[in-house]
Amino acid sequence: MTFLHRHRWLTPYLLLAPGVAFLILFFVVPLYYLGYTSLQEGTVQVGYTFNWAWDNYSNAISRYREQFFRSLEYAGIATLAALLISYPLTYWIAFRGGRWKNLLLLFIIAPFFVTYLIRTLAWQNILADDGFVLNALQFVGLVGDDGRILATSTAVIAGITYNFLPFMALPLYVSLEQIDTSLIEAAKDLYASSTKAFLRVTLPLSMPGVIAGTLLTFIPAAGDFINAELLGTPRQAMIGNVIQSKFLEITDYGQAAALSMILMVVILALIVAYTRLVGTERLAG
Amino acid sequence: MTDPRFNDPLTRGQLLRRAAVGGTALTLPSLLAACGSGGGIEGQANTQPATTSVKKELAGEMTVSNWPFYIDQNDDATRFPTLEQFTKETGVKVNYLEDINSNEEFFGEIQAPLSRGQSIDRDIIVPTAWMAARLLNLGYLQKLDKSAIPNMANLEDSLKSPAWDPNRDYSMPWQSYITGLGYDPKKVGGELTAVSDLLDPSLKGKITMLDSMEDTVGLFLLEMGVDPSGEIDPSAYDEAVAKVQKAVDDGQIRKFTGNDYTGPLAKGDVWAAIAWSGDILILQPDNPNLKFTIPDAGGMTSVDTMLIPTGGDVFTASTFMNFFYDPEVAAKVTAYVQYISPVKGTKEVIEKTNPELVDDPLVFPTPEALENLYEFKPEAIENPDNQEKWQAVIGV
Amino acid sequence: MTAAAEPRALPRRRVSPLTKAWAFVRRHTLTVFGILALAYLMLPIAIVVIFSFNDPAGRYNYTWEGFTTKHWAHPFGPPFLGDAVGTSIKVGVIATIVSVILGTLVALALVRYHFRGRGATNLLIFVPLTAPEIVLGASLLTLFLNLGTALGFWTIVIAHIMFCISFVVVTVRARLVGFDRHVEEAAMDLGANEYVTFYRITLPLIAPGILAGALLAFSLSIDDFVITSFNSGTTQTFPLYVWSQAQRGVPAEVNVIGTMIFAVAIVLMVANILFQWRRTPKGAVA
Repeated sequence: MTFLHRHRWLTPYLLLAPGVAFLILFFVVPLYYLGYTSLQEGTVQVGYTFNWAWDNYSNAISRYREQFFRSLEYAGIATLAALLISYPLTYWIAFRGGRWKNLLLLFIIAPFFVTYLIRTLAWQNILADDGFVLNALQFVGLVGDDGRILATSTAVIAGITYNFLPFMALPLYVSLEQIDTSLIEAAKDLYASSTKAFLRVTLPLSMPGVIAGTLLTFIPAAGDFINAELLGTPRQAMIGNVIQSKFLEITDYGQAAALSMILMVVILALIVAYTRLVGTERLAG
Repeated sequence: MTDPRFNDPLTRGQLLRRAAVGGTALTLPSLLAACGSGGGIEGQANTQPATTSVKKELAGEMTVSNWPFYIDQNDDATRFPTLEQFTKETGVKVNYLEDINSNEEFFGEIQAPLSRGQSIDRDIIVPTAWMAARLLNLGYLQKLDKSAIPNMANLEDSLKSPAWDPNRDYSMPWQSYITGLGYDPKKVGGELTAVSDLLDPSLKGKITMLDSMEDTVGLFLLEMGVDPSGEIDPSAYDEAVAKVQKAVDDGQIRKFTGNDYTGPLAKGDVWAAIAWSGDILILQPDNPNLKFTIPDAGGMTSVDTMLIPTGGDVFTASTFMNFFYDPEVAAKVTAYVQYISPVKGTKEVIEKTNPELVDDPLVFPTPEALENLYEFKPEAIENPDNQEKWQAVIGV
Repeated sequence: MTAAAEPRALPRRRVSPLTKAWAFVRRHTLTVFGILALAYLMLPIAIVVIFSFNDPAGRYNYTWEGFTTKHWAHPFGPPFLGDAVGTSIKVGVIATIVSVILGTLVALALVRYHFRGRGATNLLIFVPLTAPEIVLGASLLTLFLNLGTALGFWTIVIAHIMFCISFVVVTVRARLVGFDRHVEEAAMDLGANEYVTFYRITLPLIAPGILAGALLAFSLSIDDFVITSFNSGTTQTFPLYVWSQAQRGVPAEVNVIGTMIFAVAIVLMVANILFQWRRTPKGAVA
């Protein structure tokens, strides 16, 4: 006991050690191996050898440029849609929720508790070619008589938006909920209209939440492949589909790893930019 | 509370210390790598085929990996009568998994452990012949215990001696299949006779094609008049692939599927597909309109083959194979799945139990019909250039 | 001095019905939008629950054929569904316990101490939260491939612990930050040493945060598909089972299991909320 008393500085490190060690072993080290594998070449038949195969990268970029950009595009649109849906929703809960706040929040989190795949399969059902949604849209005239929603980019983006909505909504809610309402009252006392008060006070104060939500939504969405697989056609293939296929079916580990590395680098760039903006203290909550 | 010290720019001392830590980080993985394989991921098979001394006693249970809709079962796939019969006769419980959706996908799952000589917890797997050949060449298979398979004598003569396993030391066929067109005539608005019928603009977005190159490209080659079981001219291959690519670009093809075209076809999201013969008939309860046809130019065929992978129980697996080569049992399976049985004597049994099937050309093809069925040259399937071109089309 | 004048009544302003209607709409648009958005969020869940009662004609559970409770009577009817669910639960329990212990310790360190490497630790915790699952899963796979480790139950557990730790840290940390240390100081003034204080005072007070972290970790583990699919070999968890069945007809029993998991989670969360409502004295801010 006295050892720790005398070496107090040791305490945080002892507390950290097991968790950090685990993460280093199974998060950081694998990233190293990802890089190592990305420079390997070979097939199952002949085995894989490490030979600084940089052409894995050049091949990856030239062959799959379309899928990369499509992933960024879909993720971007989905993030925007999620923002547009989540902001009014979380505003409503944070400011008008009153006693029911936590319960309403439950509705946002609830879909999260149904397995991701089952949720997406349900969308397959809902958006089916002879389902009620399509019939309704055809009735209204938004979709042509021989049009469809399923197996289009719309379906894929809609799926991504739905599945990642909680990631946008929760950070937004947290930052909206923390806004001191007396600030808004003060603005109104100073003759600001509700709209002005919102634009000048609420919106800027909620920005940290918006940025966090955007990041937490966009990044995983860019790597998603399930929505494209279940709700789209080969023309909607995202980079995630390519990586998954190359790793688990074609077993072209070298190129698959190169693709993952490229994705990871793009993501890291975004995270670094975010960290600079916000500082490391705000990162983990 | 942030400690202001940590916001200062790095001092030289801090930089040096961080570099030292980073340096250690770099050596650690190389230490770990030294513990593992030397130059990279183990891709090579263990060079000695697994020699297990065959015990002559049955295991308590066994696990089989097969394609879906490939064994007799009740309507929602919870009971398998022939498997229950097997268990009754031998006391061996069968875990029957329908987890093969496409050969490549399945290979991707089993490759890593098999390449290290590890078991994949399967006693029998049933991939298609060309994949079976690949697995054999990689050394992932065990020899059958032929003393446990007296019914091997019932194997159809035409299947007795494939090029890749001339003595049937490692494999026994399960069923042969035909690749053709499965479709709903009501939705399509008529009959289909050629694979290029799928490219009709009225079917835009309503068709699927198989992601297995040998099935899809094979059909297109046949329509071009090229025989895919012989030497394939690269320019002919490219032309066939280009046709498929165009269909993708036009938005004609909804999806490239393994066995999973069955769902959308049953549901009505897909009106026509390149499909396997028996599947369509099994989908009848879900969609009674569905029909299967072999294109006039010819259809593709191959054999799905039972194999014993590394780690499987050879005696129990061989006993299982033997059971299904009894014409009575084979007839039960074929009556349900309606694929082509490799077992001699099945026809005679079916004449008594399901006489209407005897004339079904999809289940018991006449010799003339067999003329119109082709098997894609295995070397052409494994050709890396061909594979790469095909992968570019299906979007990976 | 003049008498105090009677306050003159303000003239009644004429408010047109249109203005009234517009004011009504403005006030309630947000509510309507909110309700619609929540309905949108719950729609697929409703479909899942409804179709668990469907009696499909063949293998595919897409169109409503008829009402039945037989799937609820025998939820583990389809072969291997039970095994997959069992594996998922086992993995979940182990991963939750380990990640909660590791994560809580890390959270304690981050909140209560200043130390070198704090920024790096924060980064280490944060990146797994945001990195796409496919990168996490693929990189773990390359680790196991290069080391020749057999893929199976334990590699799944390792993967799950890895991504759960960060979530636990964030959840527990949120609770710790709002923690009033005066109680601890009072206990120590009364003669308790650090360990007794931690065990008797701190731990019970942060227990809700730890429980929340545990619930989060468990549901993430049960639900995980992408990372698991890369690291499972031939072992099947519940999401992997659903994926494999998606290609040949998802049995309605999957809807049943999905509904059950959902219901359990909701019940636990509602209980947590009610519990907190009761613990908070009336009028105080939660």
